[in-house]
Amino acid sequence: MLKRIYVDNYKCLVNFELTFGSICLFLGPNGAGKSSVFEVLQNLRSFIGGEGRLEQIFKHTSLTRWQTLHIQTFELEVEGNKGIYKYLLKVDYDIEGHKARVKSELLSYNKKPLLRFEQGEVHLYRDNHSVGPVYPFDWHLSAVSSIFARPDNKLLTWFKEQVSQIIVVQPNPALMTEISETEFDMPSYHLENFVSWYRHLSQDQGFAIELNKTLREVLPGFDAFKFEKSGDQYRFKAHFRNENKNESVGYGFGDLSDGQRMLIVLYALTLAVKMQHYTLCLDEPENFLALPEIQPWIVQLFELCEQDEAQALLISHHPELIDYLLASPVGLWFERSGNLPTRVRPVVAPGESGVPVSELIARGWLNE
Amino acid sequence: MLKRIYIDNYKCLVNFELNFGPVNLFLGPNGGGKTSVFETLQKLQLFVGQNRKVADLFTFSDRTRWQSSLIQTFELEIERGKKAYKYELAIEHDEKSRTARVKYERLWYERQPLLKFESDEVQLYQDNGTSASPYTFDSSLSALAFITPRSDNQLLTWFKEQLPYLIIAQIIPPLMGGESAQEEKFPSARMDNYASWYRHLSQDQGLAFQLTAALRKCLPGFDYFKFTEAGERHRTLKVFFTSLGQPSASTGYDFSELSDGQRMLIALYTLLLAAQAKDATQSGKHKFILCLDEPENYLALPEIRPWMVDLYDLCSEGQVQALLISHHPESIDYLLASPIGYWFERQNNLATRVKQIRAEDDGGLSVSELIARGWLHD
Amino acid sequence: MSRYSKVVVLCEGRQDEVFARTFLVKCGFMVARIRFVVAPKGIGSGEKFVREQYPKEVIAYRSNRNRIQNSLVVMTDADVIPVSGRMKYLEDKLQDERQNPRRPDEAIGIFIPKRNIETWILFFMGQQVDEDTDYGHFNKQSVCKPYVEKYAKSRKQALPDNAPESLKLACSELARIV
Repeated sequence: MLKRIYVDNYKCLVNFELTFGSICLFLGPNGAGKSSVFEVLQNLRSFIGGEGRLEQIFKHTSLTRWQTLHIQTFELEVEGNKGIYKYLLKVDYDIEGHKARVKSELLSYNKKPLLRFEQGEVHLYRDNHSVGPVYPFDWHLSAVSSIFARPDNKLLTWFKEQVSQIIVVQPNPALMTEISETEFDMPSYHLENFVSWYRHLSQDQGFAIELNKTLREVLPGFDAFKFEKSGDQYRFKAHFRNENKNESVGYGFGDLSDGQRMLIVLYALTLAVKMQHYTLCLDEPENFLALPEIQPWIVQLFELCEQDEAQALLISHHPELIDYLLASPVGLWFERSGNLPTRVRPVVAPGESGVPVSELIARGWLNE
Repeated sequence: MLKRIYIDNYKCLVNFELNFGPVNLFLGPNGGGKTSVFETLQKLQLFVGQNRKVADLFTFSDRTRWQSSLIQTFELEIERGKKAYKYELAIEHDEKSRTARVKYERLWYERQPLLKFESDEVQLYQDNGTSASPYTFDSSLSALAFITPRSDNQLLTWFKEQLPYLIIAQIIPPLMGGESAQEEKFPSARMDNYASWYRHLSQDQGLAFQLTAALRKCLPGFDYFKFTEAGERHRTLKVFFTSLGQPSASTGYDFSELSDGQRMLIALYTLLLAAQAKDATQSGKHKFILCLDEPENYLALPEIRPWMVDLYDLCSEGQVQALLISHHPESIDYLLASPIGYWFERQNNLATRVKQIRAEDDGGLSVSELIARGWLHD
Repeated sequence: MSRYSKVVVLCEGRQDEVFARTFLVKCGFMVARIRFVVAPKGIGSGEKFVREQYPKEVIAYRSNRNRIQNSLVVMTDADVIPVSGRMKYLEDKLQDERQNPRRPDEAIGIFIPKRNIETWILFFMGQQVDEDTDYGHFNKQSVCKPYVEKYAKSRKQALPDNAPESLKLACSELARIV
């Protein structure tokens, strides 16, 4: 589980620190830095996952505008595997040449080093903390990303696995295609590839059956999904029962309303998080949903997180989510004044208020 | 102003009719037909405005699933002052070849016919009522789309020119980039052409000034817009924000670097100000009809109501008409104090039925709370 | 509408909500049919929130009655006041809003644990409890689930003599809901 993040000199995040629980709700005005935290998590996941070179993932335009510092610092603390991991990445930018390189990359487990990458040289340490190989490495890449799993580096490998399970998404049904040509094992940012991701997920019959069961409860008339093959392509269809005539009518996924697709996606995400233990970073899940659909969904996600079967970080503006979640102390209020750095504090409702939190926020009374 | 729409045999809209007021709030569960109404308006707009083929816009599979009828019927009434235009379109599908043709297309101004297109033959009428000689026309296209403006068909031309003022949009901020290859007079369906649209709008200095003032009030730190050159005709839209410590030095950001919520707010206020702009209303020519799908998406809670209030005021004054699809408590609770709500529902997954609703103030729960519980009405 | 909230749960905090949710689901209600109205976590108790919302929920319940079958579950801690006293606070608030008192045939159930919900949970867990001690919060609110489910299954049976008085009183309220 993600425990803590530290960011310095990335957009509006300056000397910024945040501690997480199993479920967190990021609140606050627009432009205050909430999505930037998600971006950092996504960038770290991509970098540690070896998805690209440093300058492809960390752009120099992300340097805080009003600072002249050219070093960005990121720290990620992950709890699990019977200990606490600490990951540190310092990125050094050469602004003239639009270049960036790893100044240092450090990984430790329970305060003992596992990997140290500085000045282009990697120092590895084995699980028993004995000193391992030392070798030069390209400082445009993550040294952690390049380590293969071996019997003596299980600790490091566990960390890599965990980080690869961080999913950052902002589902947007308007962008989802209904045709799938290949399978994807990870969802894209707007879930544009939902259908292809679902193809991968549904290989697990248990997943498909449980999702079907849930959708029949929350989506009126829903019967089942079907893939129609046409050459190399698969067309994703949703079948609905027509109660009067007792027949099942198929609709292309693209023909469903935005809200219906959003509901399907959110329940699929929740189930995937449960079965694959993802850390889910979800940006504005309430968009496109009808009012009665929101609370039942968040209750289910909340339960999962509360029982430690999942971790979810949510950005939301919606009263339904806010009022339900803030009965627990899981709210974090993000604020920026003008061009100053982002500040965060836990949300505490004023004592003895007879009004829902969302109402206080709408009136601008919460942060006073 | 849109006065009335009639739709038959399009998705879940069967024998469907709706009359409009200055502000209209579409509510109801997903898949209930709200977006289908917007889709229809958009298709009619494209058919008449962009000479598209009828079969491209009105596909065979868009017909109502549980009906075997091959004919789709549409009617649109648009007000002009105290009088109204009526546009009628019937499309006939062929099951075997999966093609479609115009069965009839007619335009009326009050009782006066302006165009009749039936059986592949077009009969035009001039403003003074005299009929021109009929001619043959391709029934895969809109005859109205191909009539060029002349001094003797100003009535018909007014109708055609009003159509682009129907802004049917579902604003998606992640798609709003800062690059503009050319100016564009109207916003696109997803507002992804914001930079190009604003490029056109900002030629009106008064509007640019008003928008800047409005954004400075609602977007903390907003200072001004600036277009920078990026090639001969290309421009990049930049946004400058003030630094609290240094009021004289603003920091510039690429438009695409703004958060979703910030871009949404900018888009929404631009719409309001464009709708009020003098050249649109003063000459009494064309008013904007804003059809917005979920305008509260991406906004922070305290930002929603102020914009709604401004929109509602504009609509009450008759400067603009609004059709809003919404699920959001803030919009619902505010707007439904007036009887402007339409509840879209499909019983047993069949045809959409609409009920007019308004909030009852009985000291109990808010309308949005009732909707969340499914208690609004049964 | 063919799908609507059948039960509304109005309560002071997350632990009460978990308790009520677990109980109702075990009794056969679908989560999607339960509407939760939970006091925000702030300084002080959620008692005022429940008291303020109560009349609104009663009004809504009453205006629905002829059309939709629904019920209202209200949970509020007795704390140091007698259960009857806490009940009276709610009834008084109803009167303040010019509403008629709660009638026996209304599916409005008021559940008042004394001293608080943890007292009941610990009892279900097999511990000796009294109604004066403040037993403090559980670290994980989901700990109560298996015990609540067990009680829900056997709810028709009479409670043992050593059960907290407030729990025995609550049982008579149950008939209004399940």
